[in-house]
Amino acid sequence: MASVVRMPEVLANVTEAAVANWLVQKGQTVAVGAPLAEVETEKAVVEYAAEVEGTVLDLLVEEGQSVAVGEPIAVIGAPGEESSEAAPSGDAGIAGGAEPPVAADRAAIDEQAAAPEPETAPEAAASPVAGAPTALGAPHEGSGGAEEGGRRAVSPIVRRLARERGVDLARVPGTGPDGRVVRRDLERFLAGQPEPQEAPEPAAEPAPAPQRSAAPEPSRAAAPDAARFDEVPLTGMRRAIARRLTESKTTVPHFYVVGDVRMDALLDLRAQLNDGGDVRVSVNDLLVKAAAGAFKRVPDANATWAGTAIHRHRTVDVSIAVAIEGGLLTPVLRDVGSRSIGDVATASAELIDRARQGRLKQAELEGGAFSISNLGMHGVKEFSAIINPPQSAILAVGAASARPVVEDGRIEVRRVMTVTLSADHRVIDGALAAQWLAAFTDLVEHPMRILL
Amino acid sequence: MPKRSRLDPAVDWIRLETTDEDWKAADPGLLTGMLAELHLIRAFEETVLELAGEGLVHGPAHSSIGQEGGAVGSIIGLRSADGVNGSHRGHHQFLAKALTHVSGGRFDTGALVPDEVDTVLQRTLAEILGLAQGFCRGRGGSMHLQWFEAGALGTNAIVGGGVPMGAGNAWAQRHAGTSDLTMSYFGDGAVNIGSVLETMNLAAAWRLPFGFFIENNLYAVSTTVQEVTGEARLSGRGPGFGIPAWQVDGMDPLAVHLATEEAAERMRAGDGPAVIEAEVYRFFHQNGPYPGSAFGYRPKDEETSWRGRDPIERVTRQLLDLGAMTQQEADGVREQAVQAMRDVASRLVEPDPESDGKRRIRPDLWPDPAFVDVGIRGDASELEGVRTLEPLDHDGETRSGRFVDAVAGVMQHRMEQDERIVVLGEDVHRLNGGTNGATKGLAKAFPDRVLGTPISENAFVGLGGGMALDGRFRPVVEFMYPDFLWVAADQVFNQIGKARHMFGGDNPVPLVLRTKVAMGSGYGSQHLMDPAGVFATSVGWRIVAPSTAADYVGLMNTALDLQDPVLVIEHIDLYPLTEDVPVDLDYRLPLGKAAVRRSGDDVTVLTYLSMVRHALEAVEQTGVDAEVIDLRWLDRASFDWDTVGESIKRTNAVLIVEQGAQGTSYGGWLADEVQRRFFDWLDQPVQRVTGSEASPSISKVLERAAIARTEEVVAGLERVVAGMGER
Ligand SMILES: Cc1ncc(C[n+]2csc(CCOP(=O)(O)OP(=O)(O)O)c2C)c(N)n1
Ligand SMILES: [Mg+2]
Repeated sequence: MASVVRMPEVLANVTEAAVANWLVQKGQTVAVGAPLAEVETEKAVVEYAAEVEGTVLDLLVEEGQSVAVGEPIAVIGAPGEESSEAAPSGDAGIAGGAEPPVAADRAAIDEQAAAPEPETAPEAAASPVAGAPTALGAPHEGSGGAEEGGRRAVSPIVRRLARERGVDLARVPGTGPDGRVVRRDLERFLAGQPEPQEAPEPAAEPAPAPQRSAAPEPSRAAAPDAARFDEVPLTGMRRAIARRLTESKTTVPHFYVVGDVRMDALLDLRAQLNDGGDVRVSVNDLLVKAAAGAFKRVPDANATWAGTAIHRHRTVDVSIAVAIEGGLLTPVLRDVGSRSIGDVATASAELIDRARQGRLKQAELEGGAFSISNLGMHGVKEFSAIINPPQSAILAVGAASARPVVEDGRIEVRRVMTVTLSADHRVIDGALAAQWLAAFTDLVEHPMRILL
Repeated sequence: MPKRSRLDPAVDWIRLETTDEDWKAADPGLLTGMLAELHLIRAFEETVLELAGEGLVHGPAHSSIGQEGGAVGSIIGLRSADGVNGSHRGHHQFLAKALTHVSGGRFDTGALVPDEVDTVLQRTLAEILGLAQGFCRGRGGSMHLQWFEAGALGTNAIVGGGVPMGAGNAWAQRHAGTSDLTMSYFGDGAVNIGSVLETMNLAAAWRLPFGFFIENNLYAVSTTVQEVTGEARLSGRGPGFGIPAWQVDGMDPLAVHLATEEAAERMRAGDGPAVIEAEVYRFFHQNGPYPGSAFGYRPKDEETSWRGRDPIERVTRQLLDLGAMTQQEADGVREQAVQAMRDVASRLVEPDPESDGKRRIRPDLWPDPAFVDVGIRGDASELEGVRTLEPLDHDGETRSGRFVDAVAGVMQHRMEQDERIVVLGEDVHRLNGGTNGATKGLAKAFPDRVLGTPISENAFVGLGGGMALDGRFRPVVEFMYPDFLWVAADQVFNQIGKARHMFGGDNPVPLVLRTKVAMGSGYGSQHLMDPAGVFATSVGWRIVAPSTAADYVGLMNTALDLQDPVLVIEHIDLYPLTEDVPVDLDYRLPLGKAAVRRSGDDVTVLTYLSMVRHALEAVEQTGVDAEVIDLRWLDRASFDWDTVGESIKRTNAVLIVEQGAQGTSYGGWLADEVQRRFFDWLDQPVQRVTGSEASPSISKVLERAAIARTEEVVAGLERVVAGMGER
């Protein structure tokens, strides 16, 4: 039975080698170990010896021809097997065994090599004309991400949220780098807020400040358990409130002074002012004016902390906290000290109105050293408020109610209001706060002085 | 005319040759054992070449045919507890050690291959073929053969790379109070590599029971020994280091045996290392079944003359001459060896049904592809039940002190409790605690366990690796500066980092490497790197980078518990800080837990080491509502993705803050990982704070310009804010 001699792996991991010289001829008999051929790779020429004895029936590759390792290169017949008698079976072995598989393999290889062509061709033809925006990353039709002149950048989180909430991103203006649509843009869009230039800066919270330690939370709570509550996505305003008031409460050293103020005279005055006048003056307007008067008397308190210095303000600007849908805003009344009560009342009504419509400008929310937050209309007796940074004080105003008061050793019933001043100790010391509160009390209790 | 007098080396350099008397005096059982091992190895190697010729050995098969005499002669007299390791050409050393282990070096010529021997042959061949039943589960292959039980410590594809680790094994043997020794094998090419020369010096300085066995086969691939050295008598390297040396004919196994006995006697007695140079010859080329002459670098007649000195023929002739064996018996040994290998091979390969006349690996013997990453490191089960403490939540008693004192303090505490711990590094034993006081008090308390090393990072860290693999000691190695990792890179990354996985994934490498980042100290381009990035992108290491003294104590304790190599990064800026540390230094920080140093909603700042403070300062200055996460654990396996992921999902922005140069930076891999894990949660690209491209210079202003501190984090936060769009 003839055996097939295959191209040996001359060097480890060499895949191909050539027969440099045949050292035997067809018909020659060979012993085990007799050199058959010189096999050549890029690096070495090696004598290759017969591993079986017999007659060389066929040499399948020409000298100099390279073949893959493992391919048949010669046929050796069993000892005594004659060239003539072995030839048919040998030929059959080669022709029927080795050759066709090789040919078939080639075909398979060719087919593989050719395969991508028909597929790529039509695609290439279908791709946009040369010079058009690259097909890579171009939006699919209807995805709505494209803008004139090219691709529109949208941050991944925005894509995800927009998908979840069914937002058409084409309608969301982008304010990130190079117009990228970023999370804030989507939040603003979802909150139905106006364009960023006019977007008001949310500010201080007049609500009662829980008396908590100022230590930062060590770590966050686990992800919300969807089964037990509805998750309300944060609006930009909610985030701003959370951030700024956390910052204030944890970094500004607050202290509080509390006073009771008799309101009878002021309420009487207000009644007179409103009786027939064309502007309606609110209690709050009068308190704003009284506060301004107090700052005139105690100017050192009209100051803010600026890190490396203290800024003493030249005018008295008073922020008023306005509750609106979904949060609150604190527009600033400028130079209250030099304005008449009527003027203050008009300006404040107008600011409150625009705050509720979401039409305040950023500049109208900035500045001042002081805010007033009034929850009296809700019947709150007293509360303390968190300072609205970078301001240095806020006055929390409770409801005026009839209370027993001792006057000249006698118990009288008076309408009394409790106010709490939160002050930034970096700027305002205790005695200064006390002086300011005394001045405020005096003005409220003698309201004609407010009007001076 | 100056006066000149001749100096001589302080130790002997000897050529040893056998005489007929030696052969007569030799134990016939020993000689028979040699012949048996020689034949088994020869038949084994022939089988490997045959399989390689059929394309069944993936990668190179470096044949030892012709040089078996050196390995067998030197190993047959060793104990199982003695260690050997070797290089890329290591089949013969491995087999000699494994066969001697299972046979005691004594063979019955009538029944040469008992089951234990058959198993050794099969598992070794299986390993070389890359099969699951191999000694290293098929991971190691031809160049990484390890069998601890037999004292085969592992062969190595980095020439000379196993030498420092072998010395570590010898250190452990000596300090465990045994008289065992370790022998490391390498070639005439490898003798010139730093690992070998550094270790010669170190082993001599510390009088380790360590043999340097040079197989001088005259060629390194195709390069001759004369071309690459001025002293081609390679045993001459020994005396220069104060190591006695023997030169022997490696084709004479008895000569090798006798030289080894002389050397071993010294080593076992505590007299220090030895060099043995065996002159051998590989009959084939570097790898594969063809002679070197086919490649033209050596003449055929040289090959013919060396073939005439075949160690098998030598031993056979002597046994016949002595009348200790008959020709028939000798032929029987060869036949049994050949038959055994035929049987072994037939269990591993089979006729290929798809290719006429070819064989293939039996398909069911391959390793499971899912095994690819198994055993890179341990499963950390050693940490189960340890007492952990989170310093952030600790309200027990604390003591205030300097950070650097906590570094020395926790080590002292652990060394008191755990006698295995050994500290080594440059100057760690002097200067009252090394160059920074980080090992203060240790040398005084434990003089034998605090080792000042020669300046040879590659050798001493590798020696630590060898100690760790041995397991009887816990090395704590110090690199004075992180950049020295480059001169030790082979041992740090190729050896220590890969050893567990490469040899099958089972044998742990518990080693702690300490170093300090010194950016800001003016030491310039070659001292001021942050090594975190290089280690994080290299396989096998765990990394901790404590930012507080209390964290340092807990992280070092966990590092010392772990069965893995752990890099502990310190920073000179932190050393002088005064901080509170829990009084009882026994607590561990949990593996893979980061610390949220500040909560916030706008951006997740990922940072570590001294940059934690800079990041907090920057956040304070900018008022950005950042969440600052102190990573603590930096390597991919220990990274706290839970804490980081939860934060990123909230902030949708990430700033990675580190101090050092861009090129080797840590944040690169992390940014990549973050964007792939959290792409859909990001509102802007992952932002980075790093130093500049250059390594920091010595000039104070240039150094400042090259590194990141608070100001650079402020700028980074501003970039993040710009990325957030308008309010
Ligand atoms: C550090 C390193 N450099 C280069 C190599 C590539 N290489 C593998 S073996 C070898 C020759 C080694 O010669 P020698 O030490 O004399 O051993 P031999 O092969 O002769 O046994 C070389 C250069 C390597 N494995 N490791
Ligand atoms: Mg060599």
